[in-house]
Amino acid sequence: MEATLFKAALLGYLVATLGYMVSLMVKRVVFARATVWILLAAFVIHGVSLALRCFSRGLTPAIHPHETLSFFAWAMTGTYLAFQLKTKTRVLGAFVSPLAFLLMVVASSRLGVDVSVPDILKGTLVPVHVALSVIGEALLAIACGAGILYLAQDSQIRQRKMTPMSRYLPSLDDLDRVNHVSLLAGFTLLTLGLLVGSVWASTVWGRPWPWDPKLMWTLAAWFFGRQFIF
Amino acid sequence: MNIFLIGMNHKTAPLEIRERLAFSCGDGVDPLKEIMRGPQIMEALYLSTCNRVEVLASTLEMNEAIESMKAFILAQGNLGRGEMEKCLYVHRGSDAVRHLFRVASSLDSMVMGEPQILGQIKDAYRQCVEGNASGVIMNKLLHHAFRAAKRVRTETAIAENAVSVSFAAVELAKKILGHLQGRSILLIGAGEMSELAARHLIQHGAERISVANRTYARAVRLAEEFHGIPVDFEHLEEKLQEVDIVISSTGAAGYIISKEMIQAALHRRKNRLLFLIDIAVPRDIDPAAGEVDNAYLYNIDDLQEVVDENIRGRLKEAEKAEQIIDEEVVKFTDWFNTLEVVPTIVSLRDKVEGIMKGELDKTLSGMQHLGEEERRNIEILASSIVNKILHDPITGLKEESQNGSAIPFVAVLRRLFKLDRE
Repeated sequence: MEATLFKAALLGYLVATLGYMVSLMVKRVVFARATVWILLAAFVIHGVSLALRCFSRGLTPAIHPHETLSFFAWAMTGTYLAFQLKTKTRVLGAFVSPLAFLLMVVASSRLGVDVSVPDILKGTLVPVHVALSVIGEALLAIACGAGILYLAQDSQIRQRKMTPMSRYLPSLDDLDRVNHVSLLAGFTLLTLGLLVGSVWASTVWGRPWPWDPKLMWTLAAWFFGRQFIF
Repeated sequence: MNIFLIGMNHKTAPLEIRERLAFSCGDGVDPLKEIMRGPQIMEALYLSTCNRVEVLASTLEMNEAIESMKAFILAQGNLGRGEMEKCLYVHRGSDAVRHLFRVASSLDSMVMGEPQILGQIKDAYRQCVEGNASGVIMNKLLHHAFRAAKRVRTETAIAENAVSVSFAAVELAKKILGHLQGRSILLIGAGEMSELAARHLIQHGAERISVANRTYARAVRLAEEFHGIPVDFEHLEEKLQEVDIVISSTGAAGYIISKEMIQAALHRRKNRLLFLIDIAVPRDIDPAAGEVDNAYLYNIDDLQEVVDENIRGRLKEAEKAEQIIDEEVVKFTDWFNTLEVVPTIVSLRDKVEGIMKGELDKTLSGMQHLGEEERRNIEILASSIVNKILHDPITGLKEESQNGSAIPFVAVLRRLFKLDRE
């Protein structure tokens, strides 16, 4: 059941990607407007699939890297759809849906493989840590997409011409707002995720920050981000 | 097709002639009534706008009707025959239909794609209906025209992009600032075009407007007009920090806003986007100010370039629109051709006899005990009832057709008996 839903969601992301590509090619927002509904459907189906997986073996949404990717795709889509309610940034879906689709393709390679949860990852803090970090990163991905579109629109407007591309892309102000909000929220969630993670690490390993390469990179990225955002 | 259209527009007649026609019809005379009094006119539509004066009519006798219409216009406009012939155009049959569809779709307008003309035609049609000047053909024709116009509007981008400098400014503002609700404007100097741009921005939601002028008294006067606040020229820099849109059109010889001023203002406003419109010649804002991040500067030539590009775009869309018009003209012509008397009689007979046969089969199959002769008697009975019922309408139709006035009857008949497939 859960695998079928996963495949359905994968298909949904593919169709949404194609829809956005068509919209981008003919530069008509109408297509993007219709595609949002397909993406919403994929998001809901994907969400049910994730929920089933969670309930079937405790609350942890993602243990394996592949599952993390799937959860990441879901969180990113959800964030985009939430922004969609408030701003006219439909075209952003052209960035989100192919990324979600690719992540899902990679995630699907381990579909149905049953990973048993190691004892060390069974604490109550683990799901909180995973959820905060992944949603935080998903928000940063949205910020990245909005940033790319902003630069594209900015260069169009600075050419002092109203090209079809410029008409198609969202307004600078909307893109700026999406970028701003998702950067702030993403960085905050990521920080909280790191804190929860280190609390959990000190309970199981006895120290808050074990020095392995992955965590070094994480810390470096966090400082890098802090430097640029504030 | 017994439809014709006669008239003049901005391309064929100078304003003095068009207004003479429109004026003479304005005072007290109901032009539609006068037109309907003309010989052989069955239905008529009178359309008068600042760019055209046109009469669309269906008639029993084309040439006579056109001549009388010409004479009418001649008398109304108080024009010499030669002068008028140069300005007037006459379209007959499907050409008249095409012309109407093109006008309704704004392909014949001075500014192609402008939306007012459709409303004006709707008003003219309302007067036509209220003045009892419309009938089957006119109703159908106008509804086809409205449909053609709607198709052109939705299926082509003919009306999409701004074709005036002030609307181009609004379009750009929306691409930079998103919505314009609650945005504030700073108007520097005065001038027709800058005031128009400000008005358009306000129409699209912009709210707070500040007016700066070298002479404070003028700023106060203009601010009153816009329900805004006057600003002293000394406080220009502080204002730059607050507003979202700046429209400048002073008569100053040099730049009044420098790159440094914009840089400082953006710094103080925490890089909130700023849209600068420089309509002045010579320019008011240093072009280098447009290089500052988050400031977007457009001068009059840039805006004009946007407009020119949009006009070229509309011309391209007009080709698509002409195709749509062609299709709609064919559709209308097809409908019109069904109004011939003979095919209508044939399809009426077919329909009624079909009903009769069907009912006979149903009844007789349930009465197997009847003999051959009894069956034949029933069949004869049924068909003579049908023939008797059909006799009067059919002879009536033929008589009307000899008088040349069958079309409304045919149309009603086709509708009541549902002879058209659509």
